[in-house]
Amino acid sequence: MRYLALPLLSQNLTESTARAQTLSLYLQLSLQVSLSQRNESTMSSSSSSLPSCPKKVVTLKSSEGETFEIEEIAALQSKTLENMIDENCADTPIPLPNIKGKILAKVVEYCNKHAEVGVDAESLRAWDAEFVNVENTTVFDYILAANFLEIPTLLDLTCQSVADMIKGKTPAEIEKTFNIKSAFTPEEEEQVRRENQWAFE
Amino acid sequence: MLRFRTLLASPYRKRKKQPKTGRKTRATRSDAVPRKQCHRTDELRQPHQLETVEQEEEEEEAEAEDGELGFHLKSSARSNAHGVQPLGNLFLSPNATNSRNTGLGALQNLTDELLLEILGLLSATQLGILATVSKSFYIFCNHEPLWRNLVLEALGGDFSFNRSWKSTYVAGCHPSFDVGSVGDLGLEIRDFYSDYVFQSWLCANLEMKPEWLERDNIVRKRGISVEEFVRSFEEPNKPVLLEGCMDGWLALEKWNRDYLVKTCSGVRFSVGPVEMRLEDYFCYSDQTREERPLYLFDPKFGEKVPVLGLDYEVPVYFREDLFSVLGNERPDYRWIIIGPSGSGSSFHIDPNSTSAWNAVITGSKKWVLFPPDVVPPGVHPSPDGAEVACPVSINEWFMNFYGATKSWKKKPVECICKAGEVIFVPSGWWHMVINLEESIAITQNYVSSRNLLNVLDFLKKPNASTLVSGTRDRVNLHDKFKKAVEAKFPGKIDQLMLEAEDKAALQKKPSFWDSVTDSKAGAFTFSF
Repeated sequence: MRYLALPLLSQNLTESTARAQTLSLYLQLSLQVSLSQRNESTMSSSSSSLPSCPKKVVTLKSSEGETFEIEEIAALQSKTLENMIDENCADTPIPLPNIKGKILAKVVEYCNKHAEVGVDAESLRAWDAEFVNVENTTVFDYILAANFLEIPTLLDLTCQSVADMIKGKTPAEIEKTFNIKSAFTPEEEEQVRRENQWAFE
Repeated sequence: MLRFRTLLASPYRKRKKQPKTGRKTRATRSDAVPRKQCHRTDELRQPHQLETVEQEEEEEEAEAEDGELGFHLKSSARSNAHGVQPLGNLFLSPNATNSRNTGLGALQNLTDELLLEILGLLSATQLGILATVSKSFYIFCNHEPLWRNLVLEALGGDFSFNRSWKSTYVAGCHPSFDVGSVGDLGLEIRDFYSDYVFQSWLCANLEMKPEWLERDNIVRKRGISVEEFVRSFEEPNKPVLLEGCMDGWLALEKWNRDYLVKTCSGVRFSVGPVEMRLEDYFCYSDQTREERPLYLFDPKFGEKVPVLGLDYEVPVYFREDLFSVLGNERPDYRWIIIGPSGSGSSFHIDPNSTSAWNAVITGSKKWVLFPPDVVPPGVHPSPDGAEVACPVSINEWFMNFYGATKSWKKKPVECICKAGEVIFVPSGWWHMVINLEESIAITQNYVSSRNLLNVLDFLKKPNASTLVSGTRDRVNLHDKFKKAVEAKFPGKIDQLMLEAEDKAALQKKPSFWDSVTDSKAGAFTFSF
């Protein structure tokens, strides 16, 4: 089922900004509260670290059964986890059967980093760039995890990273990057090329 | 979706050819209608040879009677499907591979939605290059919504629609390239299976099923007094279809395409995120085959072209218009609505807790309404009411959720509103509208004494900044409005509050649902 999230009280729905999204396993929409607002209300110091007040922790379980702890404030970046926390379902380990331990560890690291206060935008960007400076298949796994857990910033970061893998490359280079075997016959290839010749000029 | 897959795996029953032309219908036409899959089994066993299909005016109508699940496709020219089939067909295919996956390589584990999200970040040139990499990328990169976004970003409302969004983009941004030489249909790819891409195409080309249009259970009234309207409908907050209250509207005689184009020459109207001239919009609406066609919905038509405002008058039932006390600072309140068959609005509640009326000048609209306390099936409002998730297209809602309403105790109110008829949409009611043919309508939202208190309450809500619509001054609107009403109608608000308290003390009235009757309309069919 393909779903669209739209402003409710608008007769004139803007098309170009709407995109179809799949429903995640935990279907509940909540108000998007900016993380900084939440941080401000709970932080007790302004240094570059997580708040030092008593921390509530959420436990996540990977597909292999390995557990990872994440502080609630960091977990709130995931809409899925935020919903579960709001519904009081986050007191026992949350199974995530489609996320491997290796990936989940990194996702937790990402959420922790993005929950820190006092990090300037420049160094966060640099950190993000390093975060996605990994093998392609790992980035794809990040995308799937970010999609499942509904972490918009991570999803944007990783999707952009894949788009960057495509930019500026020739068809042959793209085939190599993603290990694709083009199955066009010579006639098809010629026709497809002809249709898109404008892009090569 | 599961129900849909079952349909597509069902055996082929029959196929009807339109006798109109003497042309042979080509079995290899890229309709991607799954019933043909069985018919084409023999062809599939032959060595795969993808052929180009020449451009022809499409007259064939594929029909499968599988109980009530058969779908009709629009008989006029359809958008290109490139032979994409739904995933269920993979199990019927003698060839077990899905070129979707082999053609994506390492990206194949991403869902279609995620892949399209990534492609949405690419420039047109990058998309064009990527389309030549594999059959799979060819299909994904030709996904029309991607090109629609690119056109609207690059050209705004100044585009001359040319058969498809991709073609429109190339013609508009690479004029030296001859798009005409490319032809419409491109490559046909037989071994690509994807529910998302297929569904997208199907919803764009689907004809409304007769049973979706049959139920017409709204109360219809002609020539009632304002008092009766207020007493029987506005106060109890019930919808009604009013006949005969557009008599005398010049718009009914004068408004057609030619008149509007001439009268509005050079003026741009709001169409989704852009503004377009009418002639450009009609050029687009004539050709488009999309799930969610762009809809012309302009809140300033009266200011942009004052003579249009003279061609109609507010029906007598809706003359009390309290937001008018705000003068120019009032929120948007009236719209001209123009759209092709298939365009419309998915389920929503009107802004600011206002009530509305919608008058059809030409064409016809199918309405489905649910009362404020009944969330339509398949619709998921956020807890605070600021956002709603609903199926991507209106057709998709009908395909997957309309049937459920037949067994619900609280059935929706439904009707087809035709030219000359006005529907009253009470405040807070969910509603969805689809144009059954090209339609021109006027709609206004208003606040009367009956819903003034509700509106004030709504504007006072703590999240007014996200919920209040149609004005730039969301946060202060409540105070401004209240002050202005007090100034013009001193004591009105207090009096209404007293009356409301009295009413609350009275016995509860019979439920609305006790009064809804479910009548089947006579056989009402459309042909396009």
